[in-house]
Amino acid sequence: MLPFLAAALLAAAGPAAAQADPSLPPFTLGYEPTSVDERGLWMDADERERRLRDSTLTVRDEALNRYLKGVLCRTVGEERCRGVRLYVVEVPAFNANMAPNGTMVVWTGMLLRARNEAELAAVLGHEFAHFELRHGLGGFKQRRNASDVGAWLAVLGGLTNAGTGDLQLSLLGSVYQFNREQEEAADRLGFQYLAAAGYPSDAATHVWQTLMAEQDATAVGHGRKPKQRYAAGFFDTHPTSLKRAEYLAAEAGKIGDSGRDPRAADYHAAIAGHLPQWLEAQVKLNDFGGTEYLLQQLAADSGWTGELLFARAELYRLRGNPRDLAASVGFYRGALSAGYSEARLYRNMGMSLLRSGQTSEGHTALNEYLRLIPDASDAKAVRALVEQ
Amino acid sequence: MRNRVIGAVGVVLAACVLVSAPAAAQEKTGAKTGFMLKPGAARIVLMRPTIRVASQSTGGMSEPNADWTAQAVENIDKALRDAQAQLGNDVVSYDEGVSGEGALTAQYGNLFSAVADSVITYQFFAGNRLPTKKRSKEFEWSVGPGLSGLHSLDGADYALFINTRDDYGSTGRKVLQLFAALGGVGITSGVHIGYAGLVDLKTGELVWLNADRQMGGDVRTAEGAVKRVAQLLEGFPGKPGEPLAAGAK
Amino acid sequence: MFKFTTLALSVATMAAVPALAGNALVSPGAHKGIAKSSLSATPDGEWNRLGRRDGKFVELWTKDGDSLNKVTFFGGVPAGEPLFREADKKNRPLPKVSGTMLMTDIPTLLESSYRIQFNVNRISIDDQEPATLGGHPGLKFRYTFVSADDEVERKGEAIGAIVKDRVFLVSYEAPAIYFFEKDLPAFHQLAATLKM
Repeated sequence: MLPFLAAALLAAAGPAAAQADPSLPPFTLGYEPTSVDERGLWMDADERERRLRDSTLTVRDEALNRYLKGVLCRTVGEERCRGVRLYVVEVPAFNANMAPNGTMVVWTGMLLRARNEAELAAVLGHEFAHFELRHGLGGFKQRRNASDVGAWLAVLGGLTNAGTGDLQLSLLGSVYQFNREQEEAADRLGFQYLAAAGYPSDAATHVWQTLMAEQDATAVGHGRKPKQRYAAGFFDTHPTSLKRAEYLAAEAGKIGDSGRDPRAADYHAAIAGHLPQWLEAQVKLNDFGGTEYLLQQLAADSGWTGELLFARAELYRLRGNPRDLAASVGFYRGALSAGYSEARLYRNMGMSLLRSGQTSEGHTALNEYLRLIPDASDAKAVRALVEQ
Repeated sequence: MRNRVIGAVGVVLAACVLVSAPAAAQEKTGAKTGFMLKPGAARIVLMRPTIRVASQSTGGMSEPNADWTAQAVENIDKALRDAQAQLGNDVVSYDEGVSGEGALTAQYGNLFSAVADSVITYQFFAGNRLPTKKRSKEFEWSVGPGLSGLHSLDGADYALFINTRDDYGSTGRKVLQLFAALGGVGITSGVHIGYAGLVDLKTGELVWLNADRQMGGDVRTAEGAVKRVAQLLEGFPGKPGEPLAAGAK
Repeated sequence: MFKFTTLALSVATMAAVPALAGNALVSPGAHKGIAKSSLSATPDGEWNRLGRRDGKFVELWTKDGDSLNKVTFFGGVPAGEPLFREADKKNRPLPKVSGTMLMTDIPTLLESSYRIQFNVNRISIDDQEPATLGGHPGLKFRYTFVSADDEVERKGEAIGAIVKDRVFLVSYEAPAIYFFEKDLPAFHQLAATLKM
């Protein structure tokens, strides 16, 4: 009797589908949302944008913002990008999204991972495609249906004393499968933008390949099994990365424009001022596997610069096994040879040396730090290490 | 990235199956001992209220509803002005203007929220009350005197912070609630949370706070908004010059 | 695209009823066995000890609530253990105390743990100097940070030492606006009486 009741009530609770007028693109200046659902989303997005504007975690660097907006405009075209407001938020993970009201949000972790302008354009174009195709609205409706099912199960579980944990997970998994079609649609449109803008269109597949590999590297580093991403698992908001990387690569192959300039130099110049800070945040996430992979990727393009070697030295020093400490000293020395000139290198190398039992060499490095910045904010503490 | 999704989904699940805890005794209003509103017409700046009205689907998911929220903003705004005019106070909405103080004001807004949360969690909520707040009946909370330095608040005596959050249960949710009650599982239909706090701009002291996790009044209607505002302003430092009963009620 | 899940998240947090915790009064005078360790302190004013515990080796004191002023005692975290109980051990493990750690590694251990556990996306260690903790040589440091959870800018001051491969650390944190300065003297008084 209970399942019957539940089914009847579920049917009664089905949402009324109010479709927005798809004829007018949402990026049209002065576009106003139409349906109740769409207006609700806009209102929420407007409030969120107000908070973003005043948030202390928003990166307020005009030059960087101008560059990013410029790349977006180059990618999707002046007409489309005109009304977009773009915000960079300090979060050390890969993400970007675009709200239904035209607010685009980019996390610093994404900017750290893009290796050139073309990869950045691939991500921005993809998110813009979600916006243009009004996916925010559709995704919301689908999610509502699935969470309805979850609550019903919770009640039935309470009534029958049956454990429903696994059932809930399997049902919730289906929510995200709905979204895969939308992700593929956004991939296709984003791909067209990329090709039309003159970027090598294989940049899109590179983004997914490196993300996938980094997640594997993180898993291995944390003692988990890799490759779980390659199966269509639950909660993958995005289509299985491997499948995605494959179809994007196939599309790019058809176009055959991989010889185009991905504009790596422009990209590196635009983020140069922020790179040390973003690397530092990444290194301190205790994600040895993923970070090591990421640094390898960055170095594959630019070579092992002093900055990258310093970050790598820090990564090893923070993991702190005896062999890591020895390796970190090597990387610090390499960074010096590659022209890294920040004094903090001597302090940190000195600490690695001390922890490795190489006391006199450690003291030499720490003294060099103190010689370079005698009144550093931690000078007294470092001096105490030398005098201990 | 994926972990975040799973984490978020876990919380959504938790929200879906939110089984109502036994109602513990909770106080709703606190005011600074001996506080009285500035005699004459006090000038009160209404900080940008966070008013959000949504519908709650059968699964407990909140769906923002712009039409309802717009109605609520309008209704609450009007009801608030009426209520204040009767008390002889002058209520104006906060305007950043050209002060460039948006980010700093946001910091004070964040701090106010932290203070209000702390009052609710550690003073109003009896089971979790801090011993130092339990024994002394005093109501002493503040965001500090720095507020008086904000140019965008020049000329004002008090800042009023209002936050309401309503999720109206859908028909499916209400039936679910009824159904669940048969099985002895409590499911809450709708969320009606609100708080209002008054800060003395000269000192930064929180002179009054009223908070409720189950508010009445349908803010989508004019009459409901009047009822809600009356509830939000319950215990508001009344008519000018009239002292308040001390301590928490 | 996580924005819709975070909507639901805010409903859940707003509706959540705090657990009945059993907070206790810390009266003026000597208190031994803080954080189930050899740490002791003699505050000359009143504090509250939260019933909530953030880890095996952690004890929390506050005056007005932990988001407004918080003293955290880490009572001898041994090698191989994290500072806090891990919220997501599998996917976001915290760094562990290491047997070869120097006292100058303590700020980084705290920073890294905060970044992972409390969504502290911005943090800077502002200065460091030698100090003593319960007669043991240690380090005093100051820092500022912002968590993405409430975006309140906070300041912190801490004293740490490594004694027999265990990390002892006592920190004070409060919003940079008003609260930090307000209760700093009370923390300094408390910190001056720390013994172990």
